[in-house]
This record gives sequence, C-alpha cells and structure tokens, in this order.
Amino acid sequence: MNIRTKEQISRLLHSAAFRLGVLQAASFAFAALVLFAITWVSVSGYVTAQLRQEISDESSEMAAVPGSIRVASINKAVAHAQKGTFFYGLFSPRGDRIAGSLTKMPPSLGWTRLHELRHIDSKHSVPGHLLINSSRLEDGNILAVAHGTLQADQLNELLLQSFIWAGLAAVVLALAGGVLTARSYLSKVETITQAASNIVKGDLGTRIVITDRDDEFDRLARSLNRMLARLQSLMEGMRQVSNDIAHDLRTPLTHLRHKLEATTLQVTSVEGYRESCTTALADVDHVLATFAALLRIAQIENQKQQENFTDVDLSGLLGVLVGDFAPVFEDQGRSLHARVHPGAIVRGDAMLLTQMFANLVENALHHTPPHTPVFLSLLPMPGCVRAIVRDTGPGIPKHERERVLQRFVRLDSSRSTPGSGLGLALVTAVAQLHEITVSLGDGEPGLAVQIDFQRPA
Amino acid sequence: MNILLIEDDAETQAYITRELTKLGHVVEQTMDGREGLQRASSQEHDVLVIDRMLPGLDGMSLVRALRSARVVTPVLMLTALGDVDQRVEGIDAGADDYLSKPFAFSELAARVSSLARRMQMVAPSETLLRVADLELDLLKREACRGGHVIDLQAREIRLLEYLMRHAGHIVTRAMLLENVWEYQFDPRTSVVETHMSRLRAKIDRGFPGGELIDTVRGAGYILRLPDRH
Repeated sequence: MNIRTKEQISRLLHSAAFRLGVLQAASFAFAALVLFAITWVSVSGYVTAQLRQEISDESSEMAAVPGSIRVASINKAVAHAQKGTFFYGLFSPRGDRIAGSLTKMPPSLGWTRLHELRHIDSKHSVPGHLLINSSRLEDGNILAVAHGTLQADQLNELLLQSFIWAGLAAVVLALAGGVLTARSYLSKVETITQAASNIVKGDLGTRIVITDRDDEFDRLARSLNRMLARLQSLMEGMRQVSNDIAHDLRTPLTHLRHKLEATTLQVTSVEGYRESCTTALADVDHVLATFAALLRIAQIENQKQQENFTDVDLSGLLGVLVGDFAPVFEDQGRSLHARVHPGAIVRGDAMLLTQMFANLVENALHHTPPHTPVFLSLLPMPGCVRAIVRDTGPGIPKHERERVLQRFVRLDSSRSTPGSGLGLALVTAVAQLHEITVSLGDGEPGLAVQIDFQRPA
Repeated sequence: MNILLIEDDAETQAYITRELTKLGHVVEQTMDGREGLQRASSQEHDVLVIDRMLPGLDGMSLVRALRSARVVTPVLMLTALGDVDQRVEGIDAGADDYLSKPFAFSELAARVSSLARRMQMVAPSETLLRVADLELDLLKREACRGGHVIDLQAREIRLLEYLMRHAGHIVTRAMLLENVWEYQFDPRTSVVETHMSRLRAKIDRGFPGGELIDTVRGAGYILRLPDRH
C-alpha cells in the first residue's frame, strides 16, 4: 500500500460521514440485540406456556380415569402418542414403574425439565429434552406426563440465528453506507477545497464544478461561485482603478514636476514664483479632481444594488436640472431646449441620477461648437421611460460609440477641451447600478444619448 | 476666536494652526483623541476641528461622546475619506460640517467662521430675513429691496437665503454646492457662478444702497453687513 492510498484511507476514516456510519452501525447492532431479547423472551415464554397447558390438560384427563382401567388407558395413550410428543409413566409410591413409556420416576413432584433421556424406554426414544409434570394420584401412585421440547428448542434456535444474521447484515450495510457516503462527500468537499486552494494561489478565475444532481453541494457550489464572481469583479475593478490612476495621474504629475523643476532652475523673480505656484496649484487640483472622480466611479460600481433607492420624480428632477443649467447655456449664447413629460416616476438614487444627467448635459456643452443647441426630452414609452439628450454637434463616429463609455477614453477631437475622460464612464456606472440602458446614437446631425428606464413593476 | 484642533498629522496640524493664528484666532492643539475629548468637555471653545482618524479615540466616537455629554460646541470634522456615506455618517454622529482632505485653507477658514456664527445666527425658523435694505420673505417666496419687489427663481431664492443667513461671512463655492444645490459632485460648468451673477444682477444693480454681495478672490462670496459706524 503506497503512501497516497494510506493517506486517502486515513482521510476517509477520519471523515465526519464515516464516523456517522460507524455510529449508525453500532446503533443498528444494539437495536437488533434489544429486538432479539424481547422477541426471544416473549416467543419462548409463549411456547413453554402452551406446552405446559397441553401437558397439564393431558395429566388431569389421565388422573380422572378410574383406577381400574388406568393402566390400560396409559398403555393405549402410549401406543397412540405420536413419536416425540407425549410420554406417560405410572409409578408406585416407592418409585417402581407400573406402566407407560417413562422408565424412571422424575426426581420430584410438579414441573421438571429433564436434559437426559434415560427416563424413556428405548423404543420411544427421541432427541431433545423433556418437560415433565408429575402428580400423586388419590391411590398413592404417581402419574408423570411428559412432552418433548425439541420443537420449541428448534424454534428458539432459528430465532437466534435469524437475529444474528439480520444484525450482522445491518451492521455491515451501515458501515458500507458510511464508507460510501464518506467517499462521495469527501470527493465533493475535495473539489471545493481544490478550487479554494487554486484561488488562494491567485487564480481567481477558478470555479467549482457543478454536477447536474442539483443537491445541497451544487447549491453550495453555486453560491460560492456567485461569491467568487463578485470577488473577481471587485478585484478586477480594483486593479482597473489602480491602473487608471497610474495611467492618468502619472502624466499630469510628470508635467507638474517638469514645470516645478523649470521654475527652480529658471525663475528668479518673486512674481515669477507666484505665477508658477498658481499654475502648480491648478495642476494639483486637476489631479485631485480626476482622483476624486475615479474613486466616485469605483464607489458607484461597488455600491450594493439599490441600497438607497427611492421613488424619484424624474420629471421634477429634470425640470430642476434644466432650471440650473439653462442659464449656463444662455450665458454662452446657446440654448438648452427641454421637453419633459410630467409625472414620470422611476426607482433610483436621485443624487446619482442628477449627476448622470448633469454629466450628459455638460458633455454636450463642452464637446460641441459655440451656438450649438442642446435638446433634453423625457417621454413615456411602452414598457419604459425614455430620456434623450441630443445635440447638433459633430457627434461620435459609429465605431467609437461603445469605446467612449469606458474610463479615460477621449476622442482625438476632444483632446484640446478640458476634462478627464471620466464623464461617460460615470454615466455608465450610474446606469449599470440603476439597470438603465444607455445608448449613443446618431442625432442626425450630432449625438443623441438615449436613456431607457425600466418602468417600476 | 478660540479653536481646539484635534489632529494627529503633525504637518497638517502645524499648517492649520499657523494659518488660523494668522487670521487672529487662538488655536489649542492635541494629537490624541482621549485628551481632545477631555479638553473639549472641560473648557470653552468656539469651534472644534476634529480629524476623523485619531489615536486613542477616533473622531466619530469623540463627537458622539461630546454630544451625549451635552457639549454643543460646533464641530468641523476633517477626513481623508471623502465619500458621500462617510459624510452622512459624520453628520449623524453630531458633526456640524464635514470637510474632506485635501482642502484649500480658505475653505476651512470659511467653514470654521460659518460654524462659529451658527451659535448666534438667526434661528432657522425665522422666515423674514433682512440685511440692510434687502428683505427676503420665505413664506411669500418674495424678495424686495428698497421697497421694490424683485422676481426671483426658486434656486435664486435658496441662494439668497443661504447668503443672508451667513451674512458677514465668506461662503465658498463648495458650501453653496452642498447646501443650495445639494449636489454631491462638482459640476464641470459654471453653474454656481452663473446663478450668482444673475442673482447679483437682480438684487444688487442700480440700487442706491450699493452692492451687497462681493466676490472674495480665491475664496468665495460674501453678503456684507451694513457698516454700523
């Protein structure tokens, strides 16, 4: 036996399922024993009582026979008795045999059980024991009536044997069941353990194999897999955020460093230093704003679904938003046209929805040429509430529309405008949390952002 | 003003102390939460500035302990954790305002002075606000200056109310976004500036009393109280 098999066996023997099997086997064995004891006592008691009744009936019948014909009756009964059943003996008060198939007088009056068969004459001899009832008759003679116990003994024997076999079978089955259960549990637990140790090693993509039995292990495996998927997405989110931070903050920080270095090398006047400090502060603020936006997106993405959701009056929310932003448009010689259908209620976080729409409206403001009008509409549709933010600016080429929803993606055409490239990523994050469908389409001309809210059920 | 600063980062502590002292405030400091609690509850201060992460006793527990001991000194909580839930949690614990690091010093100064004012400020239940010849009736939702009724938009009324309640004190753009717009984000457009300039055009231009609202460069806005002399 090699070490691996030994280890497997030891693991099997130490498993909870196997211990349970052993316990079960022991309790089966005990139950069989108790059952046997009870059955044995009651069956053999019944059989013995039955036998005694028969013997005493026969004995009283014989005793009632008049003394003159008693010997003849006994002889007749002996002749008629079936082999191994009734035996009779009539003895004088001194113990001499007068008649019958019993050769020797029983040692005492009343009930006796004899284990030797020396008492029977050889031609009636049978295997087994005798149960004898002897009584003194009114003429002083002693009458003994006996019956073979072979049948009762055989019954007891049979009873004992069947119980031993049944008990053994139960114990063996319970043990085998224990081993089998332990093995199947062990193999399933082993699958989960294996997956867990892969994950510990860093392979977060590992999943526990699910069988089609749909038992409690599959349910456990499914929920563990769900947990793993969530963990993985969180970890990936984290990695993504670190990459993004590294990517997007390194550049402005490098610029800042260059500028500060240049300042210390070249600037000589206090005025020059003040100017450098002002630009440096602005740069740092830009970095901090990007950082805050990233954290905000990560926070929204990891927010527990619908934690702070309430019924939001979307029409009212957009009305207020238009009130806040229309003057900004007007000051730039543009216009924000709104057509908001009243009474649209959606489920969500009012704060985040405001931020999402503010982002879209501000995008339209930043990425379109001067005097471009922007349209905001809210309309109830069958099955959803649809908001559209549309402008008549340059739009986004079809092949770029998916890509701009990700973090830090900026079109070449917008490199010159300020911004971090995080606006639409934030919109995407809010939309995902709310299960809103956001699609970028052609505004003919310009860009049309279509936002579909599922109607609350 | 007498300010107790409970902050464990030596550099931040030195920076805040130096700048506040320059403004003429008296600043006491400690780095330990327990000592801070003991000092805040045994001595009188106008404002407490408390960092959220402290050795000994964290800022949140400190504020809770103070409030349950019926110490009502205004608290400005500082934190490196800037997210919305943290802010709500801080306010729930009994902090009066919440400022996330890093911050501009002008922001801290404005909030500290606004908090110190809170004790002697007009009761929030007051519905008729008056500064010089400017009146704002919050029930009629109507403003008038020098007897002329001025038509204001809903947002402009809230903006004016906030300025009037903080009259004589600088309010920053961030304070306005938090309290007037209730935005938890910083818009990338000039929403605050635009509305402020419209409000000023309505209530400040062409009145004999002169302009009441001033822009404080690099800090925010101020609605000036009339000169009492």
